[in-house]
Amino acid sequence: MRRLESRHVQKHARHADSLNPGSGGSLQMHALTGRVQSGTLRHSLELIYLLVLKELKVRYKSSLLGYLWAVANPFAFAFVYWLAFKFIMRVQMENYSIFLITGMFPWIWLSAGVTQATKSYQANISLVKKVKLNRAIMPLSSIVQEMVHFIFALPAVAIFLVALGDSHIHASWLWQVPLMMAIQLAFAFPIGLTLGLVNVFVRDVEYLIGIAFSLLFFATPIVYPLSMVPPNYQFYFRNSPLHHLIDAWRSVLLDGTMKFESVAVVLAYAVVFSVIAMFAYRRLASKIGEVL
Amino acid sequence: MSNAMEVSGVWKSFQTHTRIGVKELLLKPRLRHAGRFSRHWALKDISFTVKRGQAFGIVGHNGAGKSTLLDLLLGTTRPDKGTITLHGAVSGLLDLGAGFHPELNGRENVMLYGSILGMSLAEIKRKLPSIVEFSELRDAIEEPIRTYSAGMVARLGFSTIIHAHSDVLLVDEVLAVGDARFQQKCIAYIHEFRRNNGSLVIVSHEKASLEAMCDEAMCLHLGEMRALGPTATVLEEYDRLLNSNNAERASAAA
Repeated sequence: MRRLESRHVQKHARHADSLNPGSGGSLQMHALTGRVQSGTLRHSLELIYLLVLKELKVRYKSSLLGYLWAVANPFAFAFVYWLAFKFIMRVQMENYSIFLITGMFPWIWLSAGVTQATKSYQANISLVKKVKLNRAIMPLSSIVQEMVHFIFALPAVAIFLVALGDSHIHASWLWQVPLMMAIQLAFAFPIGLTLGLVNVFVRDVEYLIGIAFSLLFFATPIVYPLSMVPPNYQFYFRNSPLHHLIDAWRSVLLDGTMKFESVAVVLAYAVVFSVIAMFAYRRLASKIGEVL
Repeated sequence: MSNAMEVSGVWKSFQTHTRIGVKELLLKPRLRHAGRFSRHWALKDISFTVKRGQAFGIVGHNGAGKSTLLDLLLGTTRPDKGTITLHGAVSGLLDLGAGFHPELNGRENVMLYGSILGMSLAEIKRKLPSIVEFSELRDAIEEPIRTYSAGMVARLGFSTIIHAHSDVLLVDEVLAVGDARFQQKCIAYIHEFRRNNGSLVIVSHEKASLEAMCDEAMCLHLGEMRALGPTATVLEEYDRLLNSNNAERASAAA
């Protein structure tokens, strides 16, 4: 009986292959009722807001310090590196702690956001399998969630800068910081979307991304200044969007000036990644429902 | 009577090797192409129409392709070939409360789930009292969902879904929501939904409930459409399949 069944199926499979299944079917929707169609921008923004709120509530539900962890975590990281590099490796640099902090916070937003976006479909299986939603929403909400952490931490960073450095609060932050955040969002989102989609099919991506980010952390001038890199290797850094992103943040936070050439490099990469992400979305997004 | 959904010539296949790791890519490069030949057709040339205000039944044994078809109607997967045209919004009364998070309280979950189902924030806020009222969970709504019983979760899920204004509801098997009294309430709601020109697609093994609810039905067997038409004739075919299956199993055992 079993053999009979499988032969039966195979015959049909061959028959069906000749029909060229690659041509693809279609799903057409016509709205009739007053129900908001899931595709509208306003609805997507509301849904992202609720998803981010959910994650924040869930993450800090039973911790004593709650949202303070968003601030404490990067500071603790910076402190560990400060100890290691200032006292053990003896980095000769003025205001090294300030230098560390200004690089550390944008980096943690980027790496934590992209890492979570990579796993976002697995973390939200029911949103993929049980309801019809725009599938860019899950990785985007991961990155926005880490951005919210970054925003929470900004006042603490500002206090730190004033207390420990020669720098002061710049009025120009009012437009520079939101602009830099928009640029980083535009840079990180297509990377997270692409990796998230690919990770549904090739699960190794989420392991590789962890290794990649620890490599990139040291391949980007975050804990050391670019001037410490031997001149013949500096070529790599001058083309790295990560270096330019961190550098642009530093110049905003320390001097209140926008480095437009760095921003241009980051945006150029953002455009390239967006093209790749759009390609990945078109090819893969409709298929993840059956693979997960 | 206008149509709520039209399904024409829909084919759906699954590949047996969908999850390819780096190891497979490196060690077995042929596997990538092998996927094309191990295609399993879960649905073959399915066509039917559901009219507005109609209840349409789908019967079939395990592995017949019922769940695959529901996924396609819900829009979470896409057909390989053929078209599905939906006139209006489709919601599934399938896994009630699947979008809920155990750590959030009932109200927070309704907000999130309502948005997932396509409602605007303003709309959910406006309907919240009515959702809580229908679910009969007013006392527990500020408690985290993890403290709810399975029945309470299902009640809240059902109540949220029916407030999301659907034109077509996909209903799975027996609608097991809460106790007998609450089930009566759900069934009463579903009848009212139909009177208001809403359509139902009901998947079930239970012939009695299908016969009572559905005007038309379809019988699926191994991904093929074996019968389509008035519920009584479709159920006859379903019986015939069941008997022939049993006979085969009996002869195999002998």
